[in-house]
Amino acid sequence: MAHLATARQQGEQESSIDPMSLALDISHVSMVYETGTGYVPALDDISFSVETGEFLAILGPSGCGKSTLLALISGLEFPTEGSVKVAYRPVSRPVTDVGIVFQTDVLLDWRRVLGNVLLQIELRGGDAAAFETRARELLRMAGLFGFEQKYPYELSGGMRQRVAICRALIHDPPLLLMDEPFGALDALTREKMVLELHRIWYETRKSVVFVTHDIQEAVFLADRVLVMTARPGQIAEIARIDIPHPRTPATRSSPEFIAMASHLRELFTNAGVL
Amino acid sequence: MAVESQVKSMMPAQTKARRAGYRLLRSANTPLVLIAIFAMWEIGVRLGHVPSYVLPPPSAIIFRIVHDWRLVLVQTWVTSIEVLIGFGLSIVISIPLAAVLFQWRWLEESMYPLLVASQTIPKVAIAPLMVVWFGFGLAPKVLIAFLICFFPIVVDSLIGFRSVPKEVMWLARSTGASKWNTFLKIQIPGALPSIFAGIKVASTLAVVGAVVGEFVGSDTGLGYQLIVANGTIDVQLSFAIIIVLSILGIVLFAFVELAERLLLPWHISQRRVSRANRSRA
Repeated sequence: MAHLATARQQGEQESSIDPMSLALDISHVSMVYETGTGYVPALDDISFSVETGEFLAILGPSGCGKSTLLALISGLEFPTEGSVKVAYRPVSRPVTDVGIVFQTDVLLDWRRVLGNVLLQIELRGGDAAAFETRARELLRMAGLFGFEQKYPYELSGGMRQRVAICRALIHDPPLLLMDEPFGALDALTREKMVLELHRIWYETRKSVVFVTHDIQEAVFLADRVLVMTARPGQIAEIARIDIPHPRTPATRSSPEFIAMASHLRELFTNAGVL
Repeated sequence: MAVESQVKSMMPAQTKARRAGYRLLRSANTPLVLIAIFAMWEIGVRLGHVPSYVLPPPSAIIFRIVHDWRLVLVQTWVTSIEVLIGFGLSIVISIPLAAVLFQWRWLEESMYPLLVASQTIPKVAIAPLMVVWFGFGLAPKVLIAFLICFFPIVVDSLIGFRSVPKEVMWLARSTGASKWNTFLKIQIPGALPSIFAGIKVASTLAVVGAVVGEFVGSDTGLGYQLIVANGTIDVQLSFAIIIVLSILGIVLFAFVELAERLLLPWHISQRRVSRANRSRA
């Protein structure tokens, strides 16, 4: 897997993707909501795919349909047109082969950290006790060793979100969906969490769809950044980030990083967002 | 990690300290305030030469409770039983009913107005009917206590079941969890703080219900004794009973609070854990 980043070529992304390893395939998806006053287009002809082990960031202003896209991928909503396939299976009901991380950590206040991670297993009807070792291992990896028996309210915002990430990983899903997971954190914690997530992703090599409105975050984490514009949500560009893994805090000051970030910023300026 | 937790814990630590101090002050204050009120009452009545049949001094009331302890104890026992059964029934019936209403939206929509209507009928108005239907025994008092407790528990339980954030439900759906499993593991525990709020309100109403029942038709209980005392203008005994009734209500409320504290150590209203252990971060 580690060779993927360097082996990738610049250019049209479809041509460089091995069709045998798609985690997610979205083709010509449009979404129109019916409201009392008429039809509101949320997504317009969206096509993209995610390779197995790839980190895809969806970058866009609020109201561009990023969250709608995640709802489509997880099978909570269905597109007006087009097809959504997760691991080659058309999505027709809630997809269970995913781990989801939301903007808020949505931990259950009455469960301790370990219990919150194991909730995923319990809801799936699995044997939680059998997963305890793995849960502890994940928590250690997320820097939460010693906090297994704490209640969520005893944790800081960053730690809570890390628990939420562990909960999304415990059942070893092939695809991780993250909806602005660090949006509610302060800037310093946020930067630290981005580093942590990158490390976790680098170690586990999950396929990730990461929704964000933060350019730096997207460039730092992603293999490719899908830039969206709003009303209706359309793809402005799919940018490949050719910065080798693992990325470090120094990456942020590298010329490639700065060039890519300003390029994306320019896209938004042109689109009238900035 | 260290920086993050320090930055994060500074503000709450201050508010926490202030809150802990406030709580200490408050718990020490309650008896003090009570003593002050009783002292002013005592002095006012004695200095103003208020006749004892209008307003007896607190010392006389307490003396009366001690003097008639056997009567007070027997009547308190009778009323307590009515209160406990009515209150217990309301908990056992209201929460499952709320759960059922929550599961079937159409049922809730058709039942809810009836529930509200049932609550708007003054219990005093139907108490005589209860006597006609169920006689002078335990049953009508228990029923009235039940009826008065029932509504706040149902309403607050429903609010609790519904208050689960949509992201949590989304998470549950992504696990393919059954409706029952979701209800058991997420909605019920999530609703507990709300349910307890309803039970707390009900606990104070339960005593009212039982006494109303006793007013209308009874030959025992604190409510009956209160009617008798009023009839003979035995104001001392009236006050004695009123004080015992309020103690009964407070004790019931305290038990509910204790249960809440034991069951919901995680809830915001119960948090006592010091922030010191955060510094380990």
